[in-house]
Amino acid sequence: MKTIGKFFFKLIRFAVIVYGILFAVFYFDLDGKFLYYIWEPFMIKRFDNMKRADTLKTPYTMKDNVE
Amino acid sequence: MKISFKDVKAKYRELFVVEKSPEEKNKPFDAKKAVKDFWYGKPHEERRLGDLYVGNTGLYKHREWRGFMDTMYYFNMIWLYNYAHMVTDIMKYGDGPKGVFEFAKGTMRYRWMGQTYLTVMHWFDRGLEGVRGDALKASAWHYRGMVSETIRQFMRMFEADKKLHGGEENELWKKTIAHNETLSGNIFYGWRDQLDDVALEMIPYFVSVHVNNHTVLNYIDAAQSIGLPADPCPMCQAEYGLFVQDDYPDYSPVMLTSNEACDGSVATSVLQDWFLNRPLYAMPQPMRYDDPLVQEHCQKEIEGAWKFIEEQFGIKMDWDQYVKHAQSFNKLTEFEWEKWDVAANTPYYPITGVAQALYRIYYSQDGDRPIWHEIDAHVKAIMDNTVKNKINCFPKTRHRAIAWSCAPLYYSHWCTWAYNCWGINTVINMDSLMFDQYLRTDTYEHALEDLSWFNEKAPMRAMAVGGHEHILSLFDYMERFNCDMVIMYDQLQCKGMQGIHGVFEDEFRKRNIHAIWIPHALPDKRTVSRAEIRDIINDYMTTVMREEPLDPTLLDFDDSMSW
Repeated sequence: MKTIGKFFFKLIRFAVIVYGILFAVFYFDLDGKFLYYIWEPFMIKRFDNMKRADTLKTPYTMKDNVE
Repeated sequence: MKISFKDVKAKYRELFVVEKSPEEKNKPFDAKKAVKDFWYGKPHEERRLGDLYVGNTGLYKHREWRGFMDTMYYFNMIWLYNYAHMVTDIMKYGDGPKGVFEFAKGTMRYRWMGQTYLTVMHWFDRGLEGVRGDALKASAWHYRGMVSETIRQFMRMFEADKKLHGGEENELWKKTIAHNETLSGNIFYGWRDQLDDVALEMIPYFVSVHVNNHTVLNYIDAAQSIGLPADPCPMCQAEYGLFVQDDYPDYSPVMLTSNEACDGSVATSVLQDWFLNRPLYAMPQPMRYDDPLVQEHCQKEIEGAWKFIEEQFGIKMDWDQYVKHAQSFNKLTEFEWEKWDVAANTPYYPITGVAQALYRIYYSQDGDRPIWHEIDAHVKAIMDNTVKNKINCFPKTRHRAIAWSCAPLYYSHWCTWAYNCWGINTVINMDSLMFDQYLRTDTYEHALEDLSWFNEKAPMRAMAVGGHEHILSLFDYMERFNCDMVIMYDQLQCKGMQGIHGVFEDEFRKRNIHAIWIPHALPDKRTVSRAEIRDIINDYMTTVMREEPLDPTLLDFDDSMSW
């Protein structure tokens, strides 16, 4: 019984700590700051340097009419 | 590079410390007021929301303290709830945990995904700034609906996408209909049990601009980089820019397009026909749409689209499916009318101008989907409560405004700012009033007739470039919704609306109406910035209306680099 009680106490303590950390992330807009200063520049670099198919080489010909 | 303690301290102050105003610094500490502010939040005039921003980024030094209950609601039921549900939605629509891998692949492949949608909670923040109580709850549900439906659509795209699966034409690719974002989802109800329909540009372009306006600029520039003209509607430029940059998912064997909203979209169809290089059906809608002579033509176009799908997929249209979804969609329409009634005749309407506009245009364009019914049930419960208990959801309203013509996508949340700063409450807008059509299902002829009308009342056709008789319906709606002010959008690259600018000027003068023109270039923030839009409203409110701002910190701030 004591062991179960201890386990639940630890679980609640863990949940409270996680909840507190999440609230700090929310309140201080840490998610926004991470995305703005770290994630987005990384993604811009990735997409700017990505090799892409040259879509201008797509043939442009007359096609059959679709009735 | 050497970083000193002084630099760290300065960065910390820049990112986290809200500077107090000189008056606040000199005030003696009032414990009773501090406790009251903690529990209820500061009164509107004392909030100083403009002090919370980090430079020109639009980020917050800290998110707003809205009082204990509302802050906890925002944290638990908006922020945490939506982050958690985004993950569950990805798995739900992505066929279990493997959906997470599909999502990751799409995130790393497409700019509009990887750079844009992860910033979605800031979209909530911008639209819900300063909002309290029932208005916070009801408006946030609208955002939740849009996020969930966006995830459903991009997950279907990613799962069916040839580009993400080594060029393989998988089963989902063979069972997905791609169509232009201005072609309504209700055209495809007859196949909803066997095929799925996903608008091609809705997620890569339209919704993305609202969430993060940085991405779209790449597509506009790409379109112009191959010599296409820079003066057509930038919506169309962005739509075909996606193809120039090879940033479109290849998730369907066919494409259906439309000339909606204007001839710029005709160019989009032509270019998509080239880039996609697959069977394409263009379903045009006439400009003078309510001419009796064009009705039969419109109905034939819809039947032509149905025949095209039947031939391409080898599956007959199921009338019972059509009836089922059309009737279900009518329920959404009925609730929309109920919302309009409350908005028009009471101060108890709990939805912000931006939530109203975006949700309405999104679901009516998208068609019947389960999420819209789920959201409407939540909103109905909240609205019933505000009406029953006579809760004024926007108590600082000085002016009830109607917004007309098409809005700046990069600043759709301007109305949240306008309420916080000036007490301008945007009760209704033009986009919300489109698609106002009940769909009869008693006979095939009635169904086709109403479906045709529904599509003729599509965005920007019914009340913008669809003929001058309709644009002036603004004044009827102004009366119906008890508005005393017009916010008149001035899309600088819309030739149709530019052509009738003078007609509106004359009408406003003749009717002695307070109208504020907001110039913009739809998705492109470089033409008219958000700050310039605010300046125009500020100038009108101070010089013409001679009013004082409710929150002076919102008068002038730089958000040029914000999402």
